Amino acid sequence: MDGKKKSSGQNVIETEITMGPVHPAALEPYRVRLFVEDEIVKDAEITVGVNHRGIERIMEGLPVEKANSLTEKICGICSNVHIWNSVMVAEKGLEIEIPERASYIRVIMGELERLHSHLLYLAHGNEVLGHETFAMRIFYIRETVMELLRMIGGNRVQYGVSIIGGVRPRCELDEMRIQKIKEGMDFIEEKVAEFADRFVSDPMVMSRITGVCPIPKKEALRLAVSGPTLRATGVDMDLRRDMECYDPFDFDVITLEGGDVKANLLMRVLEIPESVKIIRQAIKNLPGGPITDRTWEMQDTGVIKSYVEAARGRLYHSYRLEDDRVRGSIVRTPSMSNIGAMQYACIGHHITDAQLGIVQCDPCFTCTDRAIQIIKL
Amino acid sequence: MSLKSYSRARAVHVMLVYTGGCNGCDIEIVNSILSPKYDAEQYKIFLTWNPREADVLVVTGPVTKFNEEPLKKIYNAIPEPKAVIAAGACALMGGVYKNIHGDIPSEEIMGPVDKIIPVDARVPGCAVRPEDVLSGAVAALPKLLEAK
Repeated sequence: MDGKKKSSGQNVIETEITMGPVHPAALEPYRVRLFVEDEIVKDAEITVGVNHRGIERIMEGLPVEKANSLTEKICGICSNVHIWNSVMVAEKGLEIEIPERASYIRVIMGELERLHSHLLYLAHGNEVLGHETFAMRIFYIRETVMELLRMIGGNRVQYGVSIIGGVRPRCELDEMRIQKIKEGMDFIEEKVAEFADRFVSDPMVMSRITGVCPIPKKEALRLAVSGPTLRATGVDMDLRRDMECYDPFDFDVITLEGGDVKANLLMRVLEIPESVKIIRQAIKNLPGGPITDRTWEMQDTGVIKSYVEAARGRLYHSYRLEDDRVRGSIVRTPSMSNIGAMQYACIGHHITDAQLGIVQCDPCFTCTDRAIQIIKL
Repeated sequence: MSLKSYSRARAVHVMLVYTGGCNGCDIEIVNSILSPKYDAEQYKIFLTWNPREADVLVVTGPVTKFNEEPLKKIYNAIPEPKAVIAAGACALMGGVYKNIHGDIPSEEIMGPVDKIIPVDARVPGCAVRPEDVLSGAVAALPKLLEAK
């Protein structure tokens, strides 16, 4: 790319190519309009809103326990982090101190979910690249993580681990489960290292993804990108460092330069060993004691806010409690803030790279369909 | 077994339509057909994204307002004989999104799926398990094979 400033919203419409709402390359329904001139994308527009189910509306007036388990249904990929954050909102408001063991189990679940989300991203990214062999290898590794999640949570997708005051009794980690997690971590680390070797030393794949759809650091900050997509542009920002439950663990925040497809894919590959590291530390130092604190009392609160670092970026939940009920719930999901980056990444590149540019930002459009107000700056 | 059903049984193409659930069932179905562990391709079940090539339509999600028309269009585009599998709690009864308050039905949700298109096999679960998806596909097969 030359140094010219890319800008969207100009009158350069030559041909319009529309994809979606149902399209083979995108699993989820969303609509992309690409304005193309000589096979170069001049402008891109992503429309969401097809999946809007109004979860905030359904949560209005529900008992807080019910509302918390409903937040899990916002997303089928990062379901655990939604219920975790929603429970944390209530815990902040009611000033509940959760037992240390519960906090450790939540971190283990959160990191396992990060593993499965990153592996899914790698598999999907490789599939869009057209490299199905790599995608199959990754799906094979991912199955181990899914089995561990099923073992702890009881379900492959929605586990419902966190409750107000701790974790569910069925998610207690006994010796057998800890042993299984240890074996799983060894397997994942070995296989991902093998995959990384093959991935980086494959000249075909590398030449296909190097320098494709880059997002500069400045633009990423302007577009309020979050999560690994932001770290792949060189910004050192990770909410896990500020979260209380991650205090006992030692891990590195990885940043890469460039923000292109290669940086984004490698970002996920490099974050997997960090997650494995956190899980190993958590298992090694797992404190004893109870996993649920049931001595709390319900009371009315003001608006409570909570941020966590989900696998895809920053997740925000807020609500207030009134007569044991949830009022005024707001959810802001990571992909919401990454839509700007998806549009930006496509502009100025070949039309065949457009789908890659969208997929590199790790979109999850089911999360994204919230009732929001966009303020144009 | 006639030659027609013999050959049909050797290339069952599944198309997945996603109508606004939480993405969980969706990934589990793709996973069950594509991934090396559950690998439905060994039973000659393939994933396709082209409705004119498909034999079996798998619908997930509670069918939001915007997805009702596209779903009907996709159903009509599939050539006969065809079978429809509704997968997941949302597709079967609207899931947690429809009617959660008891008497106030959500206006956003047009489902369940059998209100919109005829359903032949139902796969329960939230989210569906890959094993159940495979048995659902097997349950839908007779309709394809016995058609004239």
